[in-house]
Amino acid sequence: MKDQIKFENAKERIEHIEDVLSSVAAGDPDVRVKTNIEDDLTGIEAAINILIDDLTYELRQSKKMKEELEEKLYKIQEQQKTIVQQQEDLMELSSPVTKVWDNVLILPVIGTLDSQRTQIMMENLLQKIVETGCTNAILDITGVPTVDTQVANHLLKTVTAARLLGADCIISGISPAIAQTIVHLGIDLSSIKTKATLQDAMLYAMKKNNQLFDGKIRVENKEPEEDNK
Amino acid sequence: MNLDINDKKIPIIKIRDFLIVSIQVDMHDKLAVQLQSQILHEIERTGAKGVLIDISVLEMVDSFIGRMLSGMASMAAIMDAAVVIVGMQPAVAITLVELGLEMPRVDTALNMEKGMEMLEKKLKEKEG
Repeated sequence: MKDQIKFENAKERIEHIEDVLSSVAAGDPDVRVKTNIEDDLTGIEAAINILIDDLTYELRQSKKMKEELEEKLYKIQEQQKTIVQQQEDLMELSSPVTKVWDNVLILPVIGTLDSQRTQIMMENLLQKIVETGCTNAILDITGVPTVDTQVANHLLKTVTAARLLGADCIISGISPAIAQTIVHLGIDLSSIKTKATLQDAMLYAMKKNNQLFDGKIRVENKEPEEDNK
Repeated sequence: MNLDINDKKIPIIKIRDFLIVSIQVDMHDKLAVQLQSQILHEIERTGAKGVLIDISVLEMVDSFIGRMLSGMASMAAIMDAAVVIVGMQPAVAITLVELGLEMPRVDTALNMEKGMEMLEKKLKEKEG
């Protein structure tokens, strides 16, 4: 038999429940409602305790999951950083500009070209032209399998920009497939000097430098007499 | 010359047959227009056969300045003076190309020395 609710007591107990609830709400998961008297309120008190138990359990679970997720996110971000870094490195490495002879720069391109890569290529080439003061640049695209309109356009832009700086840009190594694509796409490359192979382009550039003398390659600074001896 | 005396002028130096214009300040539209007529007047006055425009300090070139430069080359050409633009920065070249200002009839050189050589060679060719 349950006791009847005593109102004096009940008020106190309800206040106690309120206290417990507010401290739970404030973040203390260990408080529980005291259930030492058996009456009509006991059921409610017990139910509240069960709810608090459930709540704290769920809270702990979600906290744990949140931590795990954060850890995973951190790892993914780290990986992302590495990927971006590697992509940048790859971009840098994929467009090496080298000075091969007095006044001659070479930019060999290998692999597929996209807008971003051609953009970086262009910047590298122009920078190098200014740094070295070379007036001949050879853009060798032997290692490029295909080009589309955008890439062809970028190549044109590169050549034009080099010309604006005061350097001549030669494109060499255009494969049959690329020649076909370019003509089919209706791109006019007639304003650009193109050579069949890198060798031809080098020869052309050096001839222009008057570095070829009697069929022999001659270093620019030497006197011709010395060379003939 | 009907130019405003209060305006800042870009100095134009005459050396032998050439005029040397070194742009050391940021170009704004008014200055560009003024420079254009200033150079053309100077060509007339001195009878120069070539003009070297050094834009190596110019970090920004908009479409107007670009058009002004290429226009100037054409104008000077019909006044029998060759124009060579020297020392363009890579960023400027990229901007001009992106703007579609490819300046097909303007000669360019990497630096003043190479520009001078270029002009001398051109003059020799002209004289035959």
